Amino acid sequence: MRISASLLRLSLIGAFGFFAIAAGAQGLEDKVTIVTSYNKDMTGPFVAAFEKKHPGTKVEVQQRHTAAAVTFIQETKSNPPDIFWASAPDAFEVLKQNTLLQKYKPKAEGIATKAGSYPINDPDNFYTGFAASGYGIEYNTRYLKANDLPVPKEWDDLKKPIYFGHVGISAPSRSGTTHLTVETILQGEGWEKGWATLMEIGGNLTQVSDRSFGVPDAVNSGQYGLGIVIDFFGLSGKASGFPVEFVYPSVTAIVPANIGIIKGAQHQKAAEAFIEFLLSEEGQQILLLPKIQRLPVRLAAYDKAPAGFPNPFKNGKLGAGVHFDVDVSEKRYQLVNSLFDRVITFRLKELNGAWKAIHDSEKKLGAKASPAAKKMLADARKLASAVPISGKEASDPAVMNSFHKLKEGEKAAGRQAEFEEKWDAAALKNYGEAKSLAEKALSAK
Amino acid sequence: MADTATVPAAPRAPLAFRLGASPAQIAALALVALFLIAFLVVPIVRVIQIAFTGVDGRFSLVNFGDFFQTSLSRESFWNSVYVSAMTVVVASIIAVPLATIISRFRFRGAALIHTLGVIPLVMPPFVGAVAMQLIYGRNGSINLLLHEFFGFRIPFMEGLNGVIFVEAVHYFPFILLNLSAALSNIDSAMEESAQNLGASGFSLFRKIVFPLALPGYVAGAALVFVKVFDDLATPLLLSVTNMLAPQAYLRITSVGVSDPQGYVISVIMIVCALTTIGLSQLALRGRDFSTQQRGGGGLARRKLGKGGTWLATAFVILTLLIVLSPHIGILLLSFGTVWSFAVLPDGYTLDHYTTIAREAGPYITNTLLYCGIAGFIDVVLASIIAYVVLRTRLKGRHLVEQMAMAAIAIPGLVLGIGLLRTYYDVHLPTGESLATFWGMLVIAYAVRRLPYALVSAKAALRQLHVHLEEAAESLGAGKFTTLTKIVVPLMTGGLLAGFVTSFATAAVELSATLILVTRPPDAPISYGIYIYMQAAAGRGPGAALGVIAVLVVAVATFLSYRLAERERDLKSREGVF
Amino acid sequence: MAASVSIENISFGYGGALVLNDVSLAIEPGEYFCFLGPSGSGKTTLLRLVAGFGTPSQGRILIGGKDVTHLPPWERNLGMVFQSYALWPHMTVAKNVAFGLERRKLSRAEINSKVKAALERVGLAHLADRRPAQLSGGQQQRVALARTLVIEPAVLLLDEPLSNLDAKLRTEMRVELKRLQRDLGITTIYVTHDQEEANAAAGRIAVLDGGKIQQIGSPVDMYDHPANRFVAAFLGTANLIEGKIESDRFLADGIVLYAVKAPPGPACVSIRPQHIAVQASGIGLPGVVEEREFLGETTRYRIKAGSHRLIVDEPHRRDIEPREVGALVGLSVDTKQVSILRG
Repeated sequence: MRISASLLRLSLIGAFGFFAIAAGAQGLEDKVTIVTSYNKDMTGPFVAAFEKKHPGTKVEVQQRHTAAAVTFIQETKSNPPDIFWASAPDAFEVLKQNTLLQKYKPKAEGIATKAGSYPINDPDNFYTGFAASGYGIEYNTRYLKANDLPVPKEWDDLKKPIYFGHVGISAPSRSGTTHLTVETILQGEGWEKGWATLMEIGGNLTQVSDRSFGVPDAVNSGQYGLGIVIDFFGLSGKASGFPVEFVYPSVTAIVPANIGIIKGAQHQKAAEAFIEFLLSEEGQQILLLPKIQRLPVRLAAYDKAPAGFPNPFKNGKLGAGVHFDVDVSEKRYQLVNSLFDRVITFRLKELNGAWKAIHDSEKKLGAKASPAAKKMLADARKLASAVPISGKEASDPAVMNSFHKLKEGEKAAGRQAEFEEKWDAAALKNYGEAKSLAEKALSAK
Repeated sequence: MADTATVPAAPRAPLAFRLGASPAQIAALALVALFLIAFLVVPIVRVIQIAFTGVDGRFSLVNFGDFFQTSLSRESFWNSVYVSAMTVVVASIIAVPLATIISRFRFRGAALIHTLGVIPLVMPPFVGAVAMQLIYGRNGSINLLLHEFFGFRIPFMEGLNGVIFVEAVHYFPFILLNLSAALSNIDSAMEESAQNLGASGFSLFRKIVFPLALPGYVAGAALVFVKVFDDLATPLLLSVTNMLAPQAYLRITSVGVSDPQGYVISVIMIVCALTTIGLSQLALRGRDFSTQQRGGGGLARRKLGKGGTWLATAFVILTLLIVLSPHIGILLLSFGTVWSFAVLPDGYTLDHYTTIAREAGPYITNTLLYCGIAGFIDVVLASIIAYVVLRTRLKGRHLVEQMAMAAIAIPGLVLGIGLLRTYYDVHLPTGESLATFWGMLVIAYAVRRLPYALVSAKAALRQLHVHLEEAAESLGAGKFTTLTKIVVPLMTGGLLAGFVTSFATAAVELSATLILVTRPPDAPISYGIYIYMQAAAGRGPGAALGVIAVLVVAVATFLSYRLAERERDLKSREGVF
Repeated sequence: MAASVSIENISFGYGGALVLNDVSLAIEPGEYFCFLGPSGSGKTTLLRLVAGFGTPSQGRILIGGKDVTHLPPWERNLGMVFQSYALWPHMTVAKNVAFGLERRKLSRAEINSKVKAALERVGLAHLADRRPAQLSGGQQQRVALARTLVIEPAVLLLDEPLSNLDAKLRTEMRVELKRLQRDLGITTIYVTHDQEEANAAAGRIAVLDGGKIQQIGSPVDMYDHPANRFVAAFLGTANLIEGKIESDRFLADGIVLYAVKAPPGPACVSIRPQHIAVQASGIGLPGVVEEREFLGETTRYRIKAGSHRLIVDEPHRRDIEPREVGALVGLSVDTKQVSILRG
């Protein structure tokens, strides 16, 4: 039976019209563009579900790591994407300060207002939290077993000599989520003590990855045994079948992951619809998928969660330890990044060398260490944990300004390169001295 | 004889005659020049300009000062030099014995060695990098076995070693091919007359073979050095960031398109590439012996003793295994379920391929589209340049040729940065920025591959003796008819080979791609692989996509080889030289 | 129809060196003309200028009376056969031959019949569908000829057409070419460095050296009456002896020739080897045999007479005893055969 040409034409028009109506009924544009730091595993299910719910609107996802995404949004002012979707709240702060986001108050109900002491949404409504995450330690069970290593529980455990060369972290300058972990430690323990912790853990680091996925990737494949990662990397790795486990230390911040509409977005309605979808019952359920494993912000979603799934809104212990000051974090963002890179990332070999010497000497001498040796080792420890810029100086606005492009009326204390060079030289010197001190301690009387 | 006192004045020669080329040829070359200026010269000038601009907007060396005063930058620089140089060393260790075996001895596995020279080239280093990590990493297959049975590990992939290893295994064919070509060009008569005069063994090698083979080796080594120096993708995928290329990339993408350091690094990379090429040319000046020999037929091949055969066979098999390891690794990864801290994956599945079949269609079609167009552009441009350079006396034609060839010294990363910066604010009628339009990616591929296409085109045209064109002209065919009936048909084989090579190398390009691709729907295969590798569950599909990319390149390379062969068979020794 | 070729004051040079220096000559319609000279003499360049490959820096070229100096090759209606034959490898023999005709807008039927005829003329009709790579050198050369002849050009230009053939084929083709040329009556310019070829085939020869014409004439004329030392030595072998003429005698160190009817003054004589007879010592000019070469048809001696080394050819016959090296002999010269060169 041949379809007549006119019938064919009619049905084409009909189909076209249907789609036009379908799209028009919701008033949604035909596409929405999202810039995100999330990978396909995360974005895929949401995109698929959203497109199913709103046929006629295509979701275009561009994955960039956080810093690059921020830069991209800053540079595409004339033709921006619609949505920014990422874990790191500080990145949203940066965009908010640069007036690159739009106000939008979601209509969804039943959403938590705080995670621990951290507000889920931006009080000015420039960005919205859609999930929460915590930081912790992912470890490879096969690796631990093969190397006779104990299971870690707290951050301080990572300082233990037994973990030397088995730990990985990603650089805060490359990973917004790691940056928050570092900030959490700094805010929790204070500037000097926080850096000391970081540098002592640093002694055990075998790799500082340049992308956040680098760490869970390595732990998943057993390249090294332990990684400081955000929870969903660990949980989803396990759900993907890798022989890994994830543990939340007791001192950890639960931080929301956010989504915001970019100023000048071309597809306003579709963008808003997407956010509503994320916060809807259906959207929040997607967070529980094995490959995603993030903490929903819709309180009712936990009713359908599998047994043992962490609930930060019921479990008081989770996330209570630290009060996170977003303001402080944002101001010293670049400085902290730079500092970490200079004293840890790019001097890892020397840092490792210093701490190995310290661990070896302490192990060899044990309790039999003479007072002189004990002092040498204590000094060595001090040197290997000394941050080359004091907390006071680091909170000086002029100093912090040196690390980003100056705005009207801002003054900078110097050039970024100058500071970096100073810190690098200091780190090199300190680690070298620490190492030789530790070695000398072995023969001290 | 005519009365010489009253020779009538010769009629004024037409302008075209005097310029040395017809108007059509001039116009064609002008178009090519325009293309190169717009998409190569201007972007690079921009990059250089920004690198040399101070905070106040005036010329300044402060950025370079900052670069060299920052220890990380210095370290990155030396690391890049170190890695490139060591790659040449390791690649030579693999390539030189192989080249010697095939050119000097009668070895039954010679065909195998020839295949060895091709296999690595079909897989871009970054695709194999992840797999190499799983096989040679600290807790990879090899080291797990070594540790279990012998109690030690070999740091194949630690830090810079990983980059060197992966790059050497990929790039050694450049040295192998160049060196064995040079060795087989040595006229056996030369060796024999030297032996006649008393030279033998080592002194024969030192005085005759080595100097004559040196140009071939240097050409290959310089190429390897430059390519490794410029490679962004491999260090990135191995998480090595203290090298120049990753540093530039990271700075441009995180700090912003206005961060001068990224441009400073770009300029340094260009200078290093040019210096390397320049030095190698200098070393070879006056020593290009290949053309002076009348197809010598190569050195006399000797028989390998029993011990020699065993040694050679062992070496070849070992090399084969190492060379194939990235391929094997990527295959295992593409079929494996979970591969963690184990010699082999836990189990096998076809899931990753079905995922790819479902999701990766657009990547593949994009690649075919972009690389096809880029290859076509290259062939057209290369033919025009080759023809005008070899067949006319137009002033300035060599300048255009040099412009085209200069693209070799420009890293893909730097070109990407330059194009991004230059065309960012130029908008298409659709409102999209020209820099992020997929056409720009095509242009970047075309510009970067043009030098190779040009070499192919020139070679093809050189094989076409000018008498063939003159014969047509004397029989009444004008320039255009001669072109279409004689030149193009006879160049086709060579041009097709050039097209396919352009296509295949563009298909696995990642450096410029990372900079210029903004939207996944626009992404080619290489970018797709990169994206997949960012997710825990994505390594399997990423590897599967990598396998497909390798197949595409392998088929293309094979085609190119056959086309070039067919071309050679078509021409005889007589009548066409 | 055959055309005349007139070359008027042609100069041509790359950079500083002139490849052709004020060359002039006139070729009659239907002539079989040869440019002869050593390599680098400019003969090929001159041929190519006639064909239209290159523009002279001075002078003009007329074909059939028309000034073609600035016409491109495809407008000159000439046919050129290249030294390399330049057959197109991607076309069959028939298509190669048809090429020129296709440019002239003839019907397919006409083209086919002309191609057939041309191939038959050179005896290769049975190879019409082969590719050049499948032919021998001699066959390729004949296809190249057929390709040019089929368009009935005004002038036929041949650039060293026989140099790529082996000796036997060369002599055969030489005769063949001459026959073809005579049958078709086409003006032909033939470039060669081999004077035997030039002598055998051409009507007239222009001898070139260093970009200048040394002499133009028929082979016999130039052989018997060379205009200068170069021509004398180039065409055949010559003994060139510097000396002076006085009172109808030519005197050079150790050599006296009588009955030399020429004005007195310094002169150079050219004596062909076969015009010197060797006799027993005591008769004629005294000489000593220094070398002896058996060349099949002749025995060539190098004989020292006075301070000169003369080349003397004696036809070989069984009953003539060859002279030994070191033997004293007497030489007599047929002075009627001697050429006197001045300047």
